[in-house]
Amino acid sequence: MDHSAPATRHAARAREGGEFQSPSLERLVRALSRLPGLGRKSATRIALDLLREDAASPHELAESLAEARANVRHCGRCGAITEADPCAICTSPSREPHQLCVVASPVDVLPFEKAGFYRGRYFVLGRLLSPLDGVRAEDLPFARLAARVEQDGIGEMILALDASVEGEATSLYIQRMFSGRDLRLSRLATGIPVGGALAYTDEATLHRAFQFRRDF
Amino acid sequence: MRLIEATLSGFRNLAEARLSFSPGVNVFTGANGQGKTNLLEALNYPALGRSFRGARDEELIGFGADAARVVVEAETEGGTVESYEYGLERGGGRRLRVAGEPVPRKADLVGRLATVVYDPQTVTLVRGAPDGRRRYLDQGLCGLDHAYFVELQAYNRALKQKTSLLRDAAAGGRGRAGLRDDLRAWSDEMALHAAPLIRDRARYARELGPVAQDVLAGFTGRSATLEIVYAPGLEIAEKEAPAADLTREISSLLDYIGEAEIRRGRCLAGPHADDLALSLDGVDLRTFGSQGETRSVAIALKLAQGELVFRRRRIRPILFFDDIFSELDQERARRLQEATAQMHQVFIATARADDVAGWRPRDARRWAVEAGRITEAP
Repeated sequence: MDHSAPATRHAARAREGGEFQSPSLERLVRALSRLPGLGRKSATRIALDLLREDAASPHELAESLAEARANVRHCGRCGAITEADPCAICTSPSREPHQLCVVASPVDVLPFEKAGFYRGRYFVLGRLLSPLDGVRAEDLPFARLAARVEQDGIGEMILALDASVEGEATSLYIQRMFSGRDLRLSRLATGIPVGGALAYTDEATLHRAFQFRRDF
Repeated sequence: MRLIEATLSGFRNLAEARLSFSPGVNVFTGANGQGKTNLLEALNYPALGRSFRGARDEELIGFGADAARVVVEAETEGGTVESYEYGLERGGGRRLRVAGEPVPRKADLVGRLATVVYDPQTVTLVRGAPDGRRRYLDQGLCGLDHAYFVELQAYNRALKQKTSLLRDAAAGGRGRAGLRDDLRAWSDEMALHAAPLIRDRARYARELGPVAQDVLAGFTGRSATLEIVYAPGLEIAEKEAPAADLTREISSLLDYIGEAEIRRGRCLAGPHADDLALSLDGVDLRTFGSQGETRSVAIALKLAQGELVFRRRRIRPILFFDDIFSELDQERARRLQEATAQMHQVFIATARADDVAGWRPRDARRWAVEAGRITEAP
């Protein structure tokens, strides 16, 4: 298609609420703009780029999408993103079976695995408590978590949830759930990033780091 | 702290202007509706990242202008000059810069440009609803300690979440199954952030009392016993106990009223229901104060807030007086002017030039404001 018309003009028309003269393109833009973080302007830029004559085949994109859709699933034991169920982490004999790291989202597993220091297993909650978004405890897999702790004889649980009000409330819920049990429960520390300059640390982080300072 | 100069364009009804200020007293006179308060609003905006009158950003953009742009140069006690620059665009675009660096969040502004504003609303501080006194506490504490601001934001978020939980349950949208456990988690979360708020508010009220009493005696010319007592929305025995103990106590108090909260469908207790009890010579000012007394005490409370900023941070806040001298008798007005001008840079907007006419400190500058035009008087 002719791409000589400046994208900005399309964007300008899009801003005015106008539509493309091509219904197919319009449909593509609308589908793209439903994706998280994409407005109509960005969706239009991506759509036009995909349709450029010299662009890599859009079929490749379509195929990889279909393939991923067919193969990717959540691990039935821990909730991580995987193609094999149960996932490699859950089945690996070299992982410490009695240590469990609780995270909010499947992507939160990645930084741990990239760093490589953690040798235990995971449990993905999928979301955090947030009544404002209609999320209550019964929407989280707490029953599965309790069963997992029981079956695997978990001795230590590390709560690695966001340092937000929602993350804290979810941690507190779990704390009450397991209070009185023979289980070591801990929460990730918050503080100054390693290699970070003190002068550029924001006040909230600095305050936390100060509050939870350690004997030295 | 003091403002050195300001450049304005497109702000409310104000004409483009470049103003250099006196380190002492700056007086703006003009009839009502000419733009005096607008000017104070423009100068004070960087202190909070919003209008002190509670106006939305969009309302601050002048009729026919695309954007409001203001640059304020301020000098700190240490002699550092910092520029506070902000641009507000139609449709909600906003840019804030301090010393050339973008400031993406209002939170990063808290406590930088220290100001205290007195406007006709100030008098409602004593006689009005408790939320005015809570706002007063919060403003004072945020200006002293950034950590307080962070805790306040977290507390308010937790309160909103818990309120939503209780309201939805009362509306019958979701079953009661597990509700008590959800509620416990949110009450625990509220308690975690309520504890530092309660501790800081109790301490602040205690420090404020004697300071406000001195200030009051200073400008009314008669001594009276002013008592300021923190009245928390939760019955806490030891308000300044260590954080962990206080958190536990609040948690169990909130747990105790959990069933009642579920029945009523709302949060029944917490720092969001706090108040300050104010009494003068043993008389409760909130209900029995005379007009004159409540006005004077309100002004004393504000001045005391500035004094606490100085004691804790060695910063003298800039004072903004918006049309308050007409509310005081001449003697009190004169004493107040003298007491403040000695130590602070002061900005005064007044419709009645008479109110400040007799008062000519050496380093004063005066302007007339008419239909948005600001012209310096000789």
